[in-house]
Amino acid sequence: MDSSTVRIILLIIHILFFIYAFSVVFSYIFLSFISAIESSQYLKRNSFVNYNEILSSTVSPSISIIAPAYNESLNIIENVRSLLSSHYVNYDVIIVNDGSKDDSLEKLIKAYDLVNVNYLINYQVPTKPLRAGVFKSTNPAFEKLIVVDKENGGKADALNCGLNISQSKYVACIDVDCLLLEDALQKMIKPFLELTDVKVIASGGVIRIANACEIKEGKLININLPNKFIEIAQILEYLRSFLLGRMAWSRLNGLLVISGAFGMFDKKIAIDVGGYDTNTVGEDMEIIVRMRRRMEEENIKYRVAYIPDPLCWTEAPDNYKILISQRNRWTRGTIEVLKKHRKIGFNPKYKLLGILSYPYWFFYERLAPIIEVIGMLYFAVLIALDNVKWDYAFAFFVSAYLFTIMFTIIAIYSEELTYHQYTKKGTGFKLLLVTLLEPFVLHPFILYAAIKGNIDYYFNKKIKWGEMTRKGLSKTES
Amino acid sequence: MNDYQNILEYFNQLPTLVKVVWVISIALFTLILGLIAYLKILRINLRRNEIKRIKYQEIYEEHLINYLYAGDNIDEISTEQREFINKMKKDISIEFNRNILVAVMTKLVNDISGEVATAIYKLYTETGLIDYSLQKLKARKWEIIASGIYELTQFEVKHVYKEIEKLIKHPHKEVRNQAQLYLVNLFQFKGLKFLNDLEYQLSEWNQIQLLEILQKFDNQEITDITIWLKSTNISVVEFALKLAKVYNQFESKETLLELLRHDNKELKVQTINVLTYFYDTECKTYLKSNFHQSSESEQIAFFKLLENVAENSDEDFVIENISHPNFKIKLAALKILKDINPDKFNYLEIAKNNTDAKRIIEFIEHN
Repeated sequence: MDSSTVRIILLIIHILFFIYAFSVVFSYIFLSFISAIESSQYLKRNSFVNYNEILSSTVSPSISIIAPAYNESLNIIENVRSLLSSHYVNYDVIIVNDGSKDDSLEKLIKAYDLVNVNYLINYQVPTKPLRAGVFKSTNPAFEKLIVVDKENGGKADALNCGLNISQSKYVACIDVDCLLLEDALQKMIKPFLELTDVKVIASGGVIRIANACEIKEGKLININLPNKFIEIAQILEYLRSFLLGRMAWSRLNGLLVISGAFGMFDKKIAIDVGGYDTNTVGEDMEIIVRMRRRMEEENIKYRVAYIPDPLCWTEAPDNYKILISQRNRWTRGTIEVLKKHRKIGFNPKYKLLGILSYPYWFFYERLAPIIEVIGMLYFAVLIALDNVKWDYAFAFFVSAYLFTIMFTIIAIYSEELTYHQYTKKGTGFKLLLVTLLEPFVLHPFILYAAIKGNIDYYFNKKIKWGEMTRKGLSKTES
Repeated sequence: MNDYQNILEYFNQLPTLVKVVWVISIALFTLILGLIAYLKILRINLRRNEIKRIKYQEIYEEHLINYLYAGDNIDEISTEQREFINKMKKDISIEFNRNILVAVMTKLVNDISGEVATAIYKLYTETGLIDYSLQKLKARKWEIIASGIYELTQFEVKHVYKEIEKLIKHPHKEVRNQAQLYLVNLFQFKGLKFLNDLEYQLSEWNQIQLLEILQKFDNQEITDITIWLKSTNISVVEFALKLAKVYNQFESKETLLELLRHDNKELKVQTINVLTYFYDTECKTYLKSNFHQSSESEQIAFFKLLENVAENSDEDFVIENISHPNFKIKLAALKILKDINPDKFNYLEIAKNNTDAKRIIEFIEHN
């Protein structure tokens, strides 16, 4: 290759990088606008709703909360109590003890007066066999509780077991350690019941970070901003992701993922598509993509709804080791799902799903960390060759940084103008401070986790879920 | 000055693209500074408004209690009450105060009934709050119209029903919903007249809401629901089916039987469910003869019905279906067989090579 060919190749690479960066910025601006419209309309639409009428109704549809538990002995009693405190009437709670090695089951039996019952299961989705069986309470106060003890098969397998056990029309799949607000079920069920022109197949809720919040008897008493940088930075991340990203995708009916921490499904459709995929660590995203795919293939008008109300609170990693493990898993999950459903990508047959949602996810979620690292390596090479045009580099770096800051501030605005959860004095300042530092402090770890996720996916197939050591929300109880 | 000139010179000699990027950066920087400043103001205002809201809420709650205790006769307004009304008239000219007062009064009327509620309704009229609500009906924005109807519903303003009736066909769903809730809250079954020619679909959510409101009132004169069961609007038929079940409308049975021939499968399932509730046996012959042409959901619903009303004459049909591929039908068929012919159930051969059936039989035997 002569030098002019090399120059042309380099120029093409530069242009591609430029287009990529510009399209990222443009897509974020676009999503922010869409999300602002959707948030405002959501709040207006729901300002007159009387949820009490739905709560007490005998014709309200039945909902099963399915919560898989693996070695959750530390907080299982409190967590179940929180799940049992919903204001909705027609619901039950199915705790699937997924082969825990600790004393979770014994604790549950003792705390909730459980006895082994003869329960006929319709095995519509294959799962690992039961271990000790199905338990129900002899105490009428806990009549809504069903505990299933089965052999370990992973989260997806446990959720599938819950799908088989459930007798309800709708299922809310939730992480057992999440704290669900009392009005969560009626808010999540609303989209299924109110849309008449399309079939709602699933609805997802916002996940909020409960670290440092005051919790008493399974109820959220006081919302506090944590002190650790890593926790506040994740709050900002969640605000961006849930209040800007997912809100906008919901408006476009292009949501590709509903958080595994809290999502509600039309049970029949979830079962018809085969339940959760047990061969992926991204089972929450995978089932949504598969359900959407089925709807598109059968030409059924459908919607994946999204509820921006802060209904579900969870514990976020408070150290970098666990955070990296979590993000590593998210990355592998994304790769697995996109690879499994590559048929829909760029395929006009799948309409918005194929020509917008999938490509967006592919370019801006799947490839983003790789492109970022390639960019960094290329920059390092240019520095080594003393070939950096510093005028350009510095100007672009500053503008990229400022854009990131602005986008996060817009997410904070979105929070303030809608739910205003962090009311205490000084919180705004802390959030802004972390906003300024986050790109330099948290982002490198997120990037590292994503790259490690890619490496693990291709070269270390044995890794599955990774470690998520929980301190437990009840630790913050007053 | 020198620094400024140096920067300017440096900027001027930059390539155009870099110049554009710097201009964007400066714009972003300025925007961020503005946003930060405004965020500070916004948070202060939100906090201040919240404190103010709580304060006014407490004041209004106290005033309202005093107002209610100040009157001896429900038909007359005492001097003390008149003073309160005059004070409120001034207060509610400010939208913030008005909203708080309406919220406090709404909360109160939801918790009370009888004379006290009537006194609150009167206060709503006397203070002029009603005029603000009526004005909202003429607004261009749908959310304002909907909030106007909501307030008129809460304070039971019946005389504006003709204006509200017109809004039943409003292009915005939320306005239509609020109008429906107004009519049913204030006129119960008579308010359901809008169903006669409803063009829009009545969502499941709305159906539940309307049903719940109706159930709050005792001793109602229940309208004949046949016209709704025959509606061309599927959602109206669905709602009528719910009414038939909740209000035990046995007299509509003929129409229900006709609905079994409806084209809509989901509607047929719901009709079978209502007939199940009525322990109806007349539908059996038709449903049996059409069993194989029915959808799986209809078949399941029919077997649920049979669980209630099966007789010995159904035995052959039930036995035919104990190997049905659907688990629920298989379960129902075996349960029914045990009920109508326990001997035959005990000697069933099916369990030998059918795991599901074996499990079901074991389950039925132990329950």
